[in-house]
Amino acid sequence: MVSSMSTPEITAGLPLFGEERAVRAVAEVEAQAAKSISIEDVSVSYALGRAARRSVLENISLEIEEGEFVVLLGETGCGKSTLLRMLLGQERPTEGTISVAGSKVERVDARSGYVPQRYSLFPDRTVLDNLMMGPLTSNYHILGRLRPSFWGARRAVREEAFRQLAHMGLQASDAGKYPHQLSGGMQQRVAIAQALMMKNRVLLMDEAFSALDPSTRGSLQRLLRSVWSETRPTVVFVTHNTAEALFLGTRVIVLARESKDDACGSRVALDMKLAEGGMTLRSHGQEFLDLVEHIEAVSNGGRLTDLSGRRTALDRCGEDSGLAGRVGVFHEVGETR
Amino acid sequence: MTNLSPFDIQARPNRLLAQALSAVLFVVCIGLYMQTSIARHRENPEDRVVPSGHQLLAGVRSAVLEPAEEDDYIAPDNASTWERLRHSMIWKDTASSGKRFFISLGLLIPFVVLAVHIGLFPWFGAGFLRFFLFFDKIVALSLLPILFIAFGIDEWSKIALIVIGVAPTMILDVTQMVKAVPQEQIVKAFTLDANNFDVAYRVVFRQVMPQVINSLRLNLKPMMLFLFAGEMIAASDGLAYRIAIMRRHMGMDVILPYVLWVALLLFLIDFSLRTINRRLHPWFQA
Ligand SMILES: Nc1ncnc2c1ncn2[C@@H]1O[C@H](COP(=O)(O)OP(=O)(O)OP(=O)(O)O)[C@@H](O)[C@H]1O
Ligand SMILES: [Mg+2]
Repeated sequence: MVSSMSTPEITAGLPLFGEERAVRAVAEVEAQAAKSISIEDVSVSYALGRAARRSVLENISLEIEEGEFVVLLGETGCGKSTLLRMLLGQERPTEGTISVAGSKVERVDARSGYVPQRYSLFPDRTVLDNLMMGPLTSNYHILGRLRPSFWGARRAVREEAFRQLAHMGLQASDAGKYPHQLSGGMQQRVAIAQALMMKNRVLLMDEAFSALDPSTRGSLQRLLRSVWSETRPTVVFVTHNTAEALFLGTRVIVLARESKDDACGSRVALDMKLAEGGMTLRSHGQEFLDLVEHIEAVSNGGRLTDLSGRRTALDRCGEDSGLAGRVGVFHEVGETR
Repeated sequence: MTNLSPFDIQARPNRLLAQALSAVLFVVCIGLYMQTSIARHRENPEDRVVPSGHQLLAGVRSAVLEPAEEDDYIAPDNASTWERLRHSMIWKDTASSGKRFFISLGLLIPFVVLAVHIGLFPWFGAGFLRFFLFFDKIVALSLLPILFIAFGIDEWSKIALIVIGVAPTMILDVTQMVKAVPQEQIVKAFTLDANNFDVAYRVVFRQVMPQVINSLRLNLKPMMLFLFAGEMIAASDGLAYRIAIMRRHMGMDVILPYVLWVALLLFLIDFSLRTINRRLHPWFQA
């Protein structure tokens, strides 16, 4: 676990990787920072047949501050989506409690915005109606349209929706389209806009960009980062992609299980803060590669010492065919212009 | 050169040929009928089993322009065609069958709404789902005697038969559709501050609506089937009643047009539902 080491923030010219440069322990969080999300000793397990249980998450405790951009990483099946479902209130943890925005999460409600990987928009509504739906339902429930103030409010929300649309880089002419008439990337832009319309302080995203092609993905990553840096909501972003995590996050959390045994759930294997995020291969070079290597080793259940052998391979970058493949992957992040 | 092999999956028949091919079976049917009719009429010019074109026309004429046997209405000599039509047998039968049919259709609506609740609200599911799963297995026609006893042999027993016959299937069908709405959509709606009824009616119901209409289209024929069963057993008017009555005096010249008329009506209802569905839900299946 890295959280026990004290490490400086990312700054230029730090020495060896083993000293955990660019990483800062969670324990050193400034005491005054507001807690946006707090996960206390959460365990999740599912019944498997009669007696057996499958443990998915084991004793997860995390404090997430207001304004942090947290990226959840881990191998497939390690419980990232499960944790996100708990944050949403879609499911309740077997043990432990979760609070978001100051109160315990009991059910899904409007305290957090949500952008899933698929089915992120309502297919029966146009882009504009999708955007307007949040603010309108929130003030005018099912029969609320009968109230006289509805139409005035609608006009205001409509203007805001067009503003949000432009902000997301979409045309005003897209407003009348149905989701199936949009490309995957445009759909996710609208989905983000839809969540932002609610002015939530918490945004939960599950593999929101995973179905997109690399260049669309890159532009959405830049968009999300710029949106985040404007208003600084708390974001929890689930992904498989380490490079994406380093570009987007100000904090990277890796979930991993110690063994494949059903009784063994995932724990927090790595929890590190990056100064400001925005790391790319281009901007951080070797440092970036080292971090990726490190994170992937941890999420595969490996130890830090395993890295010593790979480092030489890293240094001989071009010659290592496996690594060359990975460098290709890195380009996805924020580098496609 | 077009590939003419009938077993070529990748064949691309040209339009004209394909349309001609579609017409073949219709032509064959009509041809066989005519041949039989002519042969029988050669033996017995009065044959009523396979009526000739002339007889059929006369049958249609009397059905469309003359009142039913049991009616005392006598059209005045100067009556317009429209007036004769209004008092004709086919008008009367279509109206009474249609009334039964559309009242049943209307009565299905609350069941569809109930189905949305069953699929979406766990407590409704707990309360109703098993019951309807069981009820669905009851053969509706076997309930007919009970319905006659309970509702008498007038309209309501026939309407009840239709509703009891198709409602359980519709309910189970719609429940499945509702359950198939991605969980993401429901969670998303709640994060947009929707309340339970917003989610039920403004997210889920709207989304399954086109499928509900399609399911209804599939159920049109069972509905007609139950209607016919009821009318044939106990009715004093209606399309199926007429067909049953005409059988007694070998009125094939009326039965055949009635059969085609019913088919046409079903086709038209189905077609309008499909058109409405497309107009109302441009986002569906596109
Ligand atoms: N209802 C359930 N019953 C039993 N096991 C479940 C249930 N839901 C999830 N699991 C288990 O929980 C584990 C974690 O699932 P989860 O979807 O959270 O993984 P993930 O990290 O999001 O994976 P991926 O990256 O593939 O999306 C899986 O191994 C799955 O088998
Ligand atoms: Mg997942």
